[in-house]
Amino acid sequence: MSATRRSTTPPRGRTDVTIVEARSWRSACLHAREDGERFEGLFATGSPHGTPHLRAVFSSPGREQIIECEPPERAVETIVDAIPAAAWDEREAGDLHGLRFIGHDPLRPLVDHDASLEEWTVPVIGADTYQVAVGPVHAGVIESGHFRFHVVGEKILHLDVRLFYKRRGLEAAAVGRSLADGIAYAQRACAACAVTNTVAYAQACEAALGLEPDRELRRIRTLLLELERVYNHLHDLSMICAGVGFAPGTMAYAALKERAQRLNERLTGHRFLFGTVHVGASHVAVADRDRLELRAELAEIRDEHATTWRQLQFVASLQNRLAGVGVLEREDAERLGAVGPAARASGVRRDARSNSPHLCYPDFRTAVPPAETGDVAARMSQRAVELDQSFALLDELAQQPLRAGSTRPAADAAGFSIGRVESPRGQTICVIERDGARLRALHLRTGSYTNWPVLAHAVPGNLLPDFPLINKSFELCYACVDR
Amino acid sequence: MFVLLHHLQRLRHELRSSVPRGRGSLALRHVDAGSCNGCEHELTATANPFYDLQQHGLAIVASPRHADVLLVTGAVTTRMVHALQASYQAMPEPRLVAALGDCALGCNLLAHHDQLTAPLEDLLPIDLRIPGCPPTPATIATALTAALHQPWARR
Repeated sequence: MSATRRSTTPPRGRTDVTIVEARSWRSACLHAREDGERFEGLFATGSPHGTPHLRAVFSSPGREQIIECEPPERAVETIVDAIPAAAWDEREAGDLHGLRFIGHDPLRPLVDHDASLEEWTVPVIGADTYQVAVGPVHAGVIESGHFRFHVVGEKILHLDVRLFYKRRGLEAAAVGRSLADGIAYAQRACAACAVTNTVAYAQACEAALGLEPDRELRRIRTLLLELERVYNHLHDLSMICAGVGFAPGTMAYAALKERAQRLNERLTGHRFLFGTVHVGASHVAVADRDRLELRAELAEIRDEHATTWRQLQFVASLQNRLAGVGVLEREDAERLGAVGPAARASGVRRDARSNSPHLCYPDFRTAVPPAETGDVAARMSQRAVELDQSFALLDELAQQPLRAGSTRPAADAAGFSIGRVESPRGQTICVIERDGARLRALHLRTGSYTNWPVLAHAVPGNLLPDFPLINKSFELCYACVDR
Repeated sequence: MFVLLHHLQRLRHELRSSVPRGRGSLALRHVDAGSCNGCEHELTATANPFYDLQQHGLAIVASPRHADVLLVTGAVTTRMVHALQASYQAMPEPRLVAALGDCALGCNLLAHHDQLTAPLEDLLPIDLRIPGCPPTPATIATALTAALHQPWARR
């Protein structure tokens, strides 16, 4: 259950900004990809009236690059044919900034809810094909979102996902705030990823200010991130059991999640660890007595997880629903840029923790599932394996004093910077642009944002009643996509 | 599986819920009108073995047509206001509205004004206020079991 592989990537370097003409946009992006750099997001900033700035983020283990252009005609050539992971990004930039991506045809609306059904969905083809529309209000306690399935009988042929029902305009609302106050907007994007999003934001601000976190700050942030991962993974295991309707498993993991969240509250005063991350410093410290309690409680949760997990292996009514359902092939995971446990369950050995110089992951090894089959079973096992890894990481962190941390000047300041953190759902990046001590732009591209189109790809070919289960096995947030 | 069931039975026995016993039952329907997902996590947690709200006659039902109480989370976004009002209209009378969490109560909102409609209070009559960011499952459980005692069928 704890098979791991060693990573040998060097620490990340500085951010390079490459400014190009609109006509060279596509070739610059494709060059970056040919050089082995990975696409991590594309977004536009600026007022709706002026010319928007279009930016794409690429990174390789040693380098990170922002390609930037200012298209005077509000049009550039698309990159989606070569980099399918950019599909939602281009659609969003099209909706929010009126940008055209020549060759991305049709550029279907994503954020724009005023568009007609014909504009944003794929046309239904075939005599026996009909549509099933679900949401935005669902049967359980679930976030708001709309799914449109094309089905024949029970078999799903296609899925269009429409999110952004919860769009609160957090990124736009953060503009003009001080860097210190802006963190509240990153936190509010999503409760379940609050630590991830705020650490990514804080890292982006610190990099822009030329600050480097000290050892204590790196350790305390790593502790908080792993506590967040533990309660989320316990929740996800509970929800996968719920997706099958296996109540004992759901309740056993729900009880463990409750214990993990109560531990969060005892340590930091908040069950979701709100208010624990600040730009440039951390006020969270764990007293020596509490460190012992932390280790003891986590050891108990770890042991109960091990017992429960072992029991689940013998439940045929659960196990028979998991194998071969919602398969994400490795090539598709790579092509669509999948991240997080979902990507690792398909055999993509990638975890942002293996290259996190601003956090504390020495000798981190990417966890791999017992079988990289890319189905619901693999995604569930991956959570179990990663839980063990997080328990071990937390225990190691808690063996030494955990004190409040701060930062020190280490590099030149910059106007533009990126923070990068592995959330429970996959790599999240936060990009900030500053104007002195104030935010000029904020962009959050979370693991969920990356994986929603991947989920939509893994669904066709499965049965409609299996969709909730497949959905739970990815367990993506709606809130941090909608922002 | 029998070990697991036995374990859960023991857990329920040991926990002896701190939630006060209510009378009767209320069917609940939740609508997320633009939350950060915190209130949803905590509402889901009220079903876990520590609170076990179903034991108190409080169950989440799949349709507003079966519900007595509409639990609303989040600041009301322009994109959710229609679905929220449609859900309320679909409920049989008498019906209650509960504002779950600070956003639904209009406190400490963080959002761009373009994206929000009027506060929930101006859209629907709020009967039950459950504060918190997010309210803990204990707070939610206490507020909902207290609602069982209210003469709530007044409209």
